[in-house]
Amino acid sequence: MIDPWIGGALALFFILCACGVVLTAATRGVYPLRALLVFSSACSVLMMFASAAALASGHSFAIDLWSLEGWGRFSIRLDMLSAIFLFAAGLVYLPASLFVRNLVEVRFRGRYPMRRYGVLHFALMASVVLILVANDAPLFLISWECMSVLCYFLVNYEQSARTDIRAGYIMLVMSEAGFLAALVAFLILGRGTPDWSFSSLAGMAQHLSGSAVWGVFLLGFLGFGVKAGLVPVNFWLPRSYTAAPAVFVPVFAGVTLNLGFYGILRLDAQLMSNHSVGTGLFALVTGSITALVGILYATTENDLKKMLAHSSIENAGIIVAAVGASLVFHASGHAVAAAIALTAALYHMVNHSVYKTLLFQGVGEVEAATGTREMDRLGGLARLLPGLSVVFLVGCLSISAIPPFNGFVSEWLTLQCLLRSAVLLSSAVKVLFALCGACLALTAALAVTCFVKVYAMSFLGIRRGDWRHGPGQAGRTQFPLAYLAVACLLLGILPTYVIPVLNRAVEPLAGASAAASLVPPFFSATPENQQLPPAFVDDFHNLGAQTGRHVLPGRGLVVLVRGSEKNPVVFAMSTSYSFVALAIFLLVTWFVATRGSRQRSVTRHELWAGGIPRLLPEMTYTATGFSNPVRVVFQAIFRPNIVEDSRETVAVHFRTAILRRRDETHFVDRLLFHPVGEAVGWLARLLAGMHHGRLNAYVAYTLAFLLIILVLFRLS
Amino acid sequence: MSFWFWHGLKKGVRSTHYPREFESAAGVSPGRPVATEFDSAAEAVVAAANCPADAIVARGSAAEVKLERCIYCQHCHYGNSHLLEWHSDYEWTMAVPGRGKYQPLPTAYHRSLHVIVVDAGDCGACLHEVKQLNNPLYNMHRLGIFLTATPRAADVLLVVGPVSENMRVPLLKTYEAMPAPKRILAVGACAINGGVFGRTFMSAGGVASVLPVDLLVPGDPPPPLAILHGLLAVTGRKSPVLQAASSEGNS
Repeated sequence: MIDPWIGGALALFFILCACGVVLTAATRGVYPLRALLVFSSACSVLMMFASAAALASGHSFAIDLWSLEGWGRFSIRLDMLSAIFLFAAGLVYLPASLFVRNLVEVRFRGRYPMRRYGVLHFALMASVVLILVANDAPLFLISWECMSVLCYFLVNYEQSARTDIRAGYIMLVMSEAGFLAALVAFLILGRGTPDWSFSSLAGMAQHLSGSAVWGVFLLGFLGFGVKAGLVPVNFWLPRSYTAAPAVFVPVFAGVTLNLGFYGILRLDAQLMSNHSVGTGLFALVTGSITALVGILYATTENDLKKMLAHSSIENAGIIVAAVGASLVFHASGHAVAAAIALTAALYHMVNHSVYKTLLFQGVGEVEAATGTREMDRLGGLARLLPGLSVVFLVGCLSISAIPPFNGFVSEWLTLQCLLRSAVLLSSAVKVLFALCGACLALTAALAVTCFVKVYAMSFLGIRRGDWRHGPGQAGRTQFPLAYLAVACLLLGILPTYVIPVLNRAVEPLAGASAAASLVPPFFSATPENQQLPPAFVDDFHNLGAQTGRHVLPGRGLVVLVRGSEKNPVVFAMSTSYSFVALAIFLLVTWFVATRGSRQRSVTRHELWAGGIPRLLPEMTYTATGFSNPVRVVFQAIFRPNIVEDSRETVAVHFRTAILRRRDETHFVDRLLFHPVGEAVGWLARLLAGMHHGRLNAYVAYTLAFLLIILVLFRLS
Repeated sequence: MSFWFWHGLKKGVRSTHYPREFESAAGVSPGRPVATEFDSAAEAVVAAANCPADAIVARGSAAEVKLERCIYCQHCHYGNSHLLEWHSDYEWTMAVPGRGKYQPLPTAYHRSLHVIVVDAGDCGACLHEVKQLNNPLYNMHRLGIFLTATPRAADVLLVVGPVSENMRVPLLKTYEAMPAPKRILAVGACAINGGVFGRTFMSAGGVASVLPVDLLVPGDPPPPLAILHGLLAVTGRKSPVLQAASSEGNS
């Protein structure tokens, strides 16, 4: 029944995309921008509609397209996993489309042709949807390649600096390398397959040998990990995020990053269901290291955009760690734990899309209003952009996992999953889980430091920089940002409504339902329910777990995992109830503070700044100063190269100023890529000795080579 | 392995028992000159002329002492002739003339007094004596007196130094930043009337010329117990014992 609706929505989506391409390319003046706004928003609404219909009905939509000689049959299929990703993409694309206007009018007007941007925008949108709904390897890989190339064009759209062009090239090279790895993974997987559809590939995966499983897993993991931003293949990410235009970065972080997770889940979790504990542990450890490295560099970075890029790496690490935990649980036969871990991963993926889009858009607005992204030059923005500061604060709270916002729910679930390693048998695996859990806990703590710094240094305090600022440059429409902030709050306070939806995608992958064990049906509890004994319900009734049972739909408002007799509750929380409690508490406090006491007298004086005659912006706490403890504590990882650049002196020994430059090579570059590069250079220099330019010698090489070949053939 | 804890216990309490008992240990106070009766008016005039700080005034055959002007050069103590009598006490906090009776802080402050110390161009002597209040012998915490670094939490502004031009604005800002009720204690001859610095283009010549001072602790520098007496007088646990001459302190 729902099929025509989903099919119609998808068809309409592609038609609208085509219309968008044509209209933005063919018109002039203000019309390309208008076409972009209207068609792109309509497309994102259609994306959300199709995926919501599929999720609500629980019914996968599948259709065969056409057959190409030598390529097999192309088919598309919107299953639950695709639907989750598609919904997240639509959720992010809507504000990102509306946001285009805010910034394009400021930055691009007159400088860049809007038409080219529109064409690229719609083409990317279509390729993203094609990746998500592709049901066979060729269509998937072709769309993936299109997406990579389009991303390259969009990143290089502004080309404001020479480093931007270089960043674009690095990104293109890395994407192509990742694509090739994924291609090889599919080729190994589908050796001798009759057709390349995902279902027959999944059948082929059952016959793979152990080493082939490892090979496919690693190739797929690292190949798709390039887009997801995993260590060690993520060094392109901060550079290209910084280079990308502000209108595109939200899409970059909110949509294309997720495609990496989609690839990993599709290939390594769904197609290869016979993975071992080892592959899962590999994902878990990689994810944890990625998270820690990401947040360390995010905390010490002062460029807002680059900081958010590093923070994207951190979040990708958390998501992949949860996926890895899920794979380990699945391989060792704990289906429910696997389902919960995968739910946490998907939840965090959706959350990250929402708040990262919000933050990147916020940074875009800040840059448009002030012309700078340096936290050391910002400060006091709350007075300049009050609306933006509130929504940006919501984004910061969400990303630093502060309840009741959405980041808390997913990070809490992820950490709880890692703590459940007690059910595993091998003690070595338990130790690894504990270490990764510690890693992620440290990451969460550093994330709070990082975003306290971001908000406090750019929005609070006094104005540090001398910004250009014209009225109406930014903050004209706050709707996209407010929309995302509300999404952050709703995803945070209604986890019991989100988890059953995610569960639809999780159940076929993990083989168990996460919702049944995570969200106990307190609202519909009956004495006959074996899963939820009456005594247990009574205990929780006294705690208030059934409050609102006759008013609200759904299973309940408590996220809870039940254990054995000895330990009835493994973990439990309810952001919904705590949100209500928090709201009431705040209201009562406000009431008491303003109405309750009458004998208050408030005198206001100027800020106490140590009695100095005038507080200069240079004297206030800077972002560099705030994050310096982290820089010092983790010096072993950062290994800065501090050079005394120049000094001003009055006399020989009387210095007035010293300029110190601090160079850092990224941890991964230093440990992995630079040694490899040096080794290649050394090998090349060694071989260069042969290339001395004498023709006779070259002929001799050829002769010697021929002789060796002949001898080898004779011998064999 | 160190036994500092045990050694500490063995030594027992070494803190002074002031103000419960009068502290009479040697060296706790340099003492102070007091009014002395001479044989003739001429001798009193000579005694007054001996004082470089004009702290001694001849009145009839008596030489009277304005302690707030005394810079403790001790000419009248160790000099050759016309010496004054010296008292070896240390309770000499003064009320400011012309400001009426000193109104102590409410009783809530008796055992919880937070003091902010501002060095308004001090030579270091008075500051050094203030620092002694923190050491185990004087230990002002036993009386509920604490130093604080922020004026927002302070009840008493303890000023040392003659208020140099560079410290005038910070001093005013500190006073403004303090919540009411607040009191100002000027410690040392410099803080009272400029002392040896006097009033110059770079020295305001005492705290009273920029802020309404409540109590004065004369001395150059005053011993720690005198400052402690001043702080107790601020709370009303002790009362100011001397009255400054009306021409001083309120300029």
